Amino acid sequence: MKITEALKITQDVWRDARPFAVTLACGFTPLHLQTFLAAHVQQALPDRKVTVSSGLYGGLVGTIEVINESPLPDGLVIALEWADLDARLDFRSAGSWGRSATNDIVASASSVLDRVAAALLRIPAGPRVALSLPTLPLPPLFHTAGWLASRHEIGLQAHLACFVAELARDGRVVTVNAQRLAEESPAAERLDLKSDLYTGLPYTIHHADKLASQLALALVPPAPKKGIISDLDDTLWSGIVGEVGPEAVTWDLASHTQLHGLYQKLLASLGDCGTLIAVASKNDPAVVEKAFQRTDLLLRPEQVFPIEVHWKAKSGSVGRILETWNIGADSVIFVDDSPMELAEVAAAHPEIECVLFPKDDYDACLKMMRHLRDRCGKEQISADDSVRLESIRQGAAFREQATSGAAPESFLAQIDAVVTFDFAAAGEARVLELVNKTNQFNLNGRRYTEADWQKLLVRPGALLLAVSYEDKFGPLGTIAVVAGEMQGGSFHAEAWVMSCRAFARRIEHQTLKMLFETTGAREIAFDFVPTAKNGPLRDVFAGLLGEAPAGAFRLTRSQFEERCPALYHEVREVRRAEAHG
Amino acid sequence: MDETRDRLTKCFQVVFPDLPQDAVAGASTATVAAWDSVAAITLMNVVEDEFSIEMDLDDLANLDSFETLYSYLQKRLQVA
Repeated sequence: MKITEALKITQDVWRDARPFAVTLACGFTPLHLQTFLAAHVQQALPDRKVTVSSGLYGGLVGTIEVINESPLPDGLVIALEWADLDARLDFRSAGSWGRSATNDIVASASSVLDRVAAALLRIPAGPRVALSLPTLPLPPLFHTAGWLASRHEIGLQAHLACFVAELARDGRVVTVNAQRLAEESPAAERLDLKSDLYTGLPYTIHHADKLASQLALALVPPAPKKGIISDLDDTLWSGIVGEVGPEAVTWDLASHTQLHGLYQKLLASLGDCGTLIAVASKNDPAVVEKAFQRTDLLLRPEQVFPIEVHWKAKSGSVGRILETWNIGADSVIFVDDSPMELAEVAAAHPEIECVLFPKDDYDACLKMMRHLRDRCGKEQISADDSVRLESIRQGAAFREQATSGAAPESFLAQIDAVVTFDFAAAGEARVLELVNKTNQFNLNGRRYTEADWQKLLVRPGALLLAVSYEDKFGPLGTIAVVAGEMQGGSFHAEAWVMSCRAFARRIEHQTLKMLFETTGAREIAFDFVPTAKNGPLRDVFAGLLGEAPAGAFRLTRSQFEERCPALYHEVREVRRAEAHG
Repeated sequence: MDETRDRLTKCFQVVFPDLPQDAVAGASTATVAAWDSVAAITLMNVVEDEFSIEMDLDDLANLDSFETLYSYLQKRLQVA
């Protein structure tokens, strides 16, 4: 990005957009870093008006320490440099580089890092904190030649590693990946010494842009994709299984097909972290079934669902997989080695991201696998992530039984359903994640930053309800969230989402019943906004009101009780935070 | 208006969005309150982007008005 483009991005913002305030803590003149950071965050949040304010020159630690003294920002960005750890590491400083100084520099750096860590841990929940560790070269002040890492430099790096490990354990601070930054901004092209000495900005424009870009990604990360649909032949494994047979397809080092083994390991790892994995392949189902029985597969068969194997168009397979997963095409990546198959799927599902498996290009294959990790990566893994695919598999069994054989009423009455309402889940990462990624059963489509969410929850009369579910088919985990506040005799629901995996179980009705009972409200005011995707929730409201609402509306207790269907769940409640251990 | 003047005007409008277009030609550090040291460096980089040139920070102190920047650019672009 060029500086002109960055300035234009920050200027072309809707004047009345909701503000998103970022505090930039750095010890140098922020100048272009501030401009680029504002532009990159603005691009990530196009419906907000992003402002970036900075602290005093040389006052990185002070900026963090006083952040509690004024209204908390939505985000805090810390661009730490060596000069912040000790003034003698600053090219602009007149401090000595003599032998006596070097030991002291390491000690004082440790003390500054302790202060920064303590200040960060004092910041209340709310603002997301993004940190970059020193990106510039150290001045040549240590006694060793430059090609050796001096013990002082190693000491500094060790203090930094301890500092950032402690913050990572706390989970409140996200740190820019130094290796990834180095790919974008090579180490030798970062320092602009003349600019540093003349203006106080030590970064080249290119480095300021790239660092700002990575900090913005850390501060406002894109929503991860929810699933990957993969081809089999020459993708999951090397070879055409229908031609060579299930025993002859390979993915190992000896066969020089390790790329496919790495791809299997990546999918297995993503599956472990909650990404859905499915297969769409033109093949003989019996042959593929035998291949999936091989014990040396690195992707376990139980990690894959559904498996669509036949000779019909892959776009149809993808459509059925999306239906089973009950998620939109825009949340999914389709991987195939055939450009023609990718084009066929893309034509039928324009929102899906199609990725070519470059089977003969090792560099491109590694790039592709890193891309998949980037698009599906998660900062934290919740208990729900480990049960997601299994709950979908069980959901398919649920739907199959619900639509065949027993009538719905007797079916619902016999599935031993348990709904658990958790009133103490405000600090759970899964709660906000669910709110921000749910589309179909979403009251208004509104997305929240961590700071927005905390502001909503600390208001007087605020109520947060996290709902989890299980039945004889298995647990679905945390599947719904309601947030709002009491206003007089009404409960004002500002957010209500439910995972599509939980549809058709009347959990939404049990949730409304619980809301009326627990709040004693006469009515619930829903901050409903129709979106292109929230038709399923609109249909639920239509069932309760007699007609679909066009916008915000109120539902009285008597209206609800009149139209609420029979509920068969056992209801449990969690009222205290200690229940989360 | 010649092309250089026109392009330089656009640079000023990017860096000083609140400056009326008819005030750009007379703009200087004395007349534009927002033209501080930070804005001066930003303006220099925007001009570098626009004209694909590299400017020296040593020249910054002398480039304190639209007209001095315009003259500077005319010389630089003639040399190029």
